[in-house]
Amino acid sequence: MTDLIVETTLDTLGNFAYVAVALLILMALYTMLTQKNLIKICVAIAVLGSSVNMFLVLLGYRDGGEIPIYFLKGENASMVLPTPQCLTLTAIVIALATTALMLSFVILLHKHYGTLDIDEIRRLRG
Amino acid sequence: MSIQDHLPALIVMLPLLGAFLTPAVASLGKKIRNIFFVLFSFLILLVALSIGCAVFWGSPMVYVMGGDSFAIALPSGMSYPVRILFEIDAFGALLALCIAIASFAGALFSVAYMDKFSGWKKYLSLYFMLTAGALGMCVTGDLFNFFVFVEISSIASFGLVAFWRDKPEAIEASFKYMLVSQIAAMLLLIAIGTLYGKYNSVTMAALSSMMADGFLERVVLALVLCVLAFKCGAFPMHAWMPDAYAEAPTGVTCLLVTVSQASFYGLIRVCYSIFPKIAAGGVVGWILIVFGCMSMFFGVMMAVVQHEIKRLMGYHSISQVGYMLLALGVGLVAMSDQQNMIAYGFTAMKGGLFHAVNYSMYKALLFLCAGSLYYATGTRNLDKMGGLARNMPWTAGMFVIAAAAISGLPPFNGFVSKWMIYESSFAIHPILPTIAMITSVLTLASFAKVFQAAFLGPAKTGFVAVREAPGFMLAGMAVLTVATLLLTFFPGWFISNIFEKAAGALVDNASYVRAVMGGI
Amino acid sequence: MLSQINSGFGYWNVLVWIVFFAGISSFVVWIRSLGRMDYKRNTDQDEIYWEGNEVPSDGSAISVPASSSYWGFRVAMEPLYKLLDKFHSGSGSDYAGYFVVTVALVGLLVLIGGK
Repeated sequence: MTDLIVETTLDTLGNFAYVAVALLILMALYTMLTQKNLIKICVAIAVLGSSVNMFLVLLGYRDGGEIPIYFLKGENASMVLPTPQCLTLTAIVIALATTALMLSFVILLHKHYGTLDIDEIRRLRG
Repeated sequence: MSIQDHLPALIVMLPLLGAFLTPAVASLGKKIRNIFFVLFSFLILLVALSIGCAVFWGSPMVYVMGGDSFAIALPSGMSYPVRILFEIDAFGALLALCIAIASFAGALFSVAYMDKFSGWKKYLSLYFMLTAGALGMCVTGDLFNFFVFVEISSIASFGLVAFWRDKPEAIEASFKYMLVSQIAAMLLLIAIGTLYGKYNSVTMAALSSMMADGFLERVVLALVLCVLAFKCGAFPMHAWMPDAYAEAPTGVTCLLVTVSQASFYGLIRVCYSIFPKIAAGGVVGWILIVFGCMSMFFGVMMAVVQHEIKRLMGYHSISQVGYMLLALGVGLVAMSDQQNMIAYGFTAMKGGLFHAVNYSMYKALLFLCAGSLYYATGTRNLDKMGGLARNMPWTAGMFVIAAAAISGLPPFNGFVSKWMIYESSFAIHPILPTIAMITSVLTLASFAKVFQAAFLGPAKTGFVAVREAPGFMLAGMAVLTVATLLLTFFPGWFISNIFEKAAGALVDNASYVRAVMGGI
Repeated sequence: MLSQINSGFGYWNVLVWIVFFAGISSFVVWIRSLGRMDYKRNTDQDEIYWEGNEVPSDGSAISVPASSSYWGFRVAMEPLYKLLDKFHSGSGSDYAGYFVVTVALVGLLVLIGGK
């Protein structure tokens, strides 16, 4: 009985990382939809990107796994999955590019409109 | 080993090579740069054409990256592919061809249109990058790779929409597009990651062969569906489209139209080839139909009252995408029942694909006509234009062809594809073709307005000295006009040789899987 | 056939339409040829009749601007257009909101919708 409880607790703890990812995503979405400041929105998008990356890395994690390099892994036979890590690297590069571009747009928008309020940057409507 | 086998790699490699060669070539002088731009785009078109020939009259092409052999998807007894692979069937080849044609036409147009502006190196690099992203989306057989190409094309299009960075509106349009697009991209990545976590593979064919119906799969399908519907401009998520299309330089708008077609490709591929067990015959088809009807109707309602020419056309893009979503949704609803599929589903799919090709040709042409008006008059406001048909007879003529085609006037190609969509969607419910026909009438009304306001009427004093657009711009428009006229005069040939095969490739999910997974 | 399509309900042939158009256009040309050719060129008979006044040289004085066309349609549809204008508010966070709400709705539909 106690074993079962310990196991369930460990399982829940193991899934806690996914809960954290979900919380981060929700926080990012909430910030994006409620905040009016462009910089804050950019931060929210960066957080969203990071939480998705965390999700990808988590997918490949194995309990007690070693690095997925054949001659560095030691005696332990179990390795974490390498593919999600490659996916994450690619996603990080993409997120970097978009964040940089987005911030430069914010600079230009501030130059043109003199404000960082997203509700005042609306010449294109209707 | 011939060049023929490497075509799938070449079609992505060539535009990427072009993008990175550009800065070097562009510093050699204006003439060499222009020749390079046009010839390279033409080369990409040739590659797309030969892929088309190989796939339409042959079997799907598979190309494996980074393996010992590029042709073996399952090396040494593995049960599913581990490498990135490209898979081109008739549907992918069809849209790749559309993109290549629009890219070539846009290149010809840009040579003259962008002549007086600086920043050519960046423009060319981003232009080729956008082409590479869009073509990559149509040829890849790997979901994560698809995400990467989506992002390549998105980032390139952000840069190009905001190309005239001195215009506040351009930055604003690009920023808004980027904001929603980033959320969408992240959701797409979550969806792909979830699939990987469950099935241990991101290869589309392998996923398709293993796919079951379940909670996670349904969440993933909903995410991917929404993201790609956003990218092709379905109704409640369309607001970026008129902004971005209107503010981008016109040569780019012409390409952006086909980039949204690449997203359409992804949407249809995901529904038909990866998730047929969930999507066929159920609620997903109806979601596409509802998206389609809303996009058609509200898009055209907004278009009727616009008075800025490119913005008006941007709203029309939304309503045209609606036709395709409607048609492919009807196909999806009919897919679970063999009888319905034969009776009307297959016609709907053929009509939808025909409309996708028609749309990319005449819509790109319309945008180029608008660009040529802007080039000649310096304004996009229809209120200020008038009587330009005397000064610009070629532009006016090509505009009439494109406008008649988009409004579905017989005998043009737009009529044929719309007719197929009406007849087949009628079998599901009469309200669907009714909405489509109302949309068609309003489309005609708004293009009659554009034609009357820009080309007819008395000449205005400001525009007495307006001259016809330069030769290169007319050449770019002529490429698309010829394509539209070919589709108009030989619809039977195109349907039986190309669209039927493309629709067949979508319906016959097993052949898509078999091309990669062998005889499983 | 190169230019004929059968949909299962009917057929479409572009050649039939071209013949039809050729017929109609020859009819139009015939009607036009019935018009009077004996007017005097380069006199007042050549001029546009504009309520007896001189035609303004600037076209913008006598043309209807594009934003005024379909005015009646717009007025008749005023309630819908008010809604649509509100919908296209131009605010980026609104657009992001529409996207998120659509994702949620579609997710719900796909989850509860059966096969």
